[in-house]
Amino acid sequence: MKRRVFAALLAGTMALSLAACGGGGSDSSSGGGDSASGGDGHTLTLYAWDPNFNIPAMEAAGADYKENVDPDFNLEVIEQSASEDVETAITTAASAGDYSTLPDIVLFQDHYIQQYVSDYPDVWVPLDDVDVDWDNFAAEKLNFSTIDGVHYGMPVDGGTVICAYRVDLLEQAGHTIDELTGCTWDEFEQIALDVKEATGKYMMCMNSDGNDLVYMMLQAEGVSQFKDGKPYITDNETLVQVVDTIVKFVNEGICLLPNSWEDYTNTAIQGDQVAGVMNGNWIIPTIEAVPENSGKWEITSMPTFSGEEGYASNGGSSLYITANCQNVDLAKDFLAYTFGGSTVTYDNALKNGGVVTTYAPAGESAVYQEGVEYFNDQPIYADIAEMTTKVPIVEQSPYHYSARNYVGSAIINIINGADTASALKDAEDQLNFEMGN
Amino acid sequence: MKQKKRMTLLQKQSAAGWGFLLPGTILIAITAFWPMIQAFIMSLQTGSSANMAWAEPIFNNYTRMFQDKLFLRSVGNTFLYLIIQVPIMLILAILLAQLLNNKHLRFKGLFRTCVFLPCAISLVSYSIIFKSLFATEGLINTILVNLHILQENYNFLGNAASAKAVIIIALIWRWTGYNMVFYLAGLQNIEYSVYEAAKIDGANGWKTFWKITVPLLKPTIIMTFIMSINGTLQLYDESVNLTNGGPANATITMSHYIYNNSLGQGVANFGYACAMSFFVFIVVGILALINMKVGDTRD
Repeated sequence: MKRRVFAALLAGTMALSLAACGGGGSDSSSGGGDSASGGDGHTLTLYAWDPNFNIPAMEAAGADYKENVDPDFNLEVIEQSASEDVETAITTAASAGDYSTLPDIVLFQDHYIQQYVSDYPDVWVPLDDVDVDWDNFAAEKLNFSTIDGVHYGMPVDGGTVICAYRVDLLEQAGHTIDELTGCTWDEFEQIALDVKEATGKYMMCMNSDGNDLVYMMLQAEGVSQFKDGKPYITDNETLVQVVDTIVKFVNEGICLLPNSWEDYTNTAIQGDQVAGVMNGNWIIPTIEAVPENSGKWEITSMPTFSGEEGYASNGGSSLYITANCQNVDLAKDFLAYTFGGSTVTYDNALKNGGVVTTYAPAGESAVYQEGVEYFNDQPIYADIAEMTTKVPIVEQSPYHYSARNYVGSAIINIINGADTASALKDAEDQLNFEMGN
Repeated sequence: MKQKKRMTLLQKQSAAGWGFLLPGTILIAITAFWPMIQAFIMSLQTGSSANMAWAEPIFNNYTRMFQDKLFLRSVGNTFLYLIIQVPIMLILAILLAQLLNNKHLRFKGLFRTCVFLPCAISLVSYSIIFKSLFATEGLINTILVNLHILQENYNFLGNAASAKAVIIIALIWRWTGYNMVFYLAGLQNIEYSVYEAAKIDGANGWKTFWKITVPLLKPTIIMTFIMSINGTLQLYDESVNLTNGGPANATITMSHYIYNNSLGQGVANFGYACAMSFFVFIVVGILALINMKVGDTRD
């Protein structure tokens, strides 16, 4: 008897799980694009991933379009847990050849888009015939989303690098932020040593498993990890100099390399271990999460080897229309109207999410000129918008993150005692191997 | 006549048997074997996953992995975990089982539950817990510094040797109880009279353990060995969540590297990832075969 009940239960669960599979399948296809946009002609679906950053910006754009263009318009922002989820969604849909799981529009990381357009050309809809004055966008930003002269993406946030410093700690060490503006790395080193001695805090910090410092410091010098599509590492004197500098700073105890991203944001930055943060301006909400440090931070540009002010960009994303979009005209019009030039969208994106534009005219609006209390009433957003225009264009590659990981690994190995030349040679070999050169 | 009738009965029975087997077989074939065949076909292909072409030469993905330093390192790491962790874990498990099988022990159920409990925790959760325990500002560091064993906080997960040690400790903690349960079950199948006879013959505890317990547990030991080898070779969650393969890929496992090549780092190199998966498959197969041959008690 017992056994029979058990068998019945088992069969029941099996039937249930099968039904759940079937249900899940149809759910995801309807939740994706085809019914949502195909339905009434006024709805668009969109993937974004950060509820504190880019999702408020998307909602601001949706509200702007609804209020000023189409009262029936409805933008459905579907939250993803991380940017990787969007990449995985594209990869799986394209691999299966079934785009019906995709939304109408996706927010996509700049550094990956070139590879995804070349790997999956049929997934994307070019924005060649929209009414947008592209010259108003930062050239460095458009360099990512323009492939063979065709615009694919509508820029949203830039990754313009800021150097944020704790002015109160600098003061304790007898220095000011002006000394750090347009300084050489040697001068930076001296100040950092003083700060470490006076306060025990690190002036530089980066998670060791995805070292962003190399890329940012290189770009500030106008140099890339790639040259003519090939890795440019061992012969790249600037890169070797950058690596030497980072290793020196780590050994001197002025640069902290936590093990992971969480350690970097939660323990190092929010745990008050640092006096300086150097990263894309999207790091600002992370810094601002510590209310008791309000008014103690200010931002400036990057140091360089020559002592000129350095500008770089790290991260950032743009909006792309997918092949599953049933209402391409609406999607194009939406993008062109909102992120293509509406200061209402950009003002609200900044106010609600801290998303800083790469669209030059938007940077002139009043919202950008306001001082930010957390940053000692410095009008940081106007400063960032200005810095954005100065970021040099450097050669990009689909293997951007791979290069970064291998060079990052090399730095760890050098710190642990490996020879610089051979560690960088290993990184270059591994990168060449991955690229199939 | 009689002969024929019996045949039909047999046939009937056999038809019923096949009928019962069929749904399961079809499900396994569709959900497991067919994807395996597809994966093999894919392992011979290369290019973007939307538009794959046959590799040139056809086994290029397979020869490629033996030139891939990072893959070879991941193989090395995985085997290091295997060689160190599996014996320690199984010996601990058998000793614990022996202890908890004692007839006169009180609160047996409580102790057994305690040892088995780690197995009820999800792989990701326990990896994250170990990560925070062994963090530079974590509990272990605080304790060791306060006990003056360490001078200052040590970056366990930022150093290759200690990061590997942490993974091995985590694995032992998580899986010892699981294997102990198998040994306990095995021990309960050994007649108590055998031990009594040994006692009368004057054998001490050590001798009884080696001459009676171990030989009689042999089938269980072989099974746990195969399962542990299989599990360790497919190690993934700990590498991803505890160390993220770091520092500088010093702790990355084969499965983690395979994932990085398929979905992990934005690059979808499915052909190469499939080829590496088949390598793991073949290695697991060979090791299981050796294990079964060595442990075969039939002559």
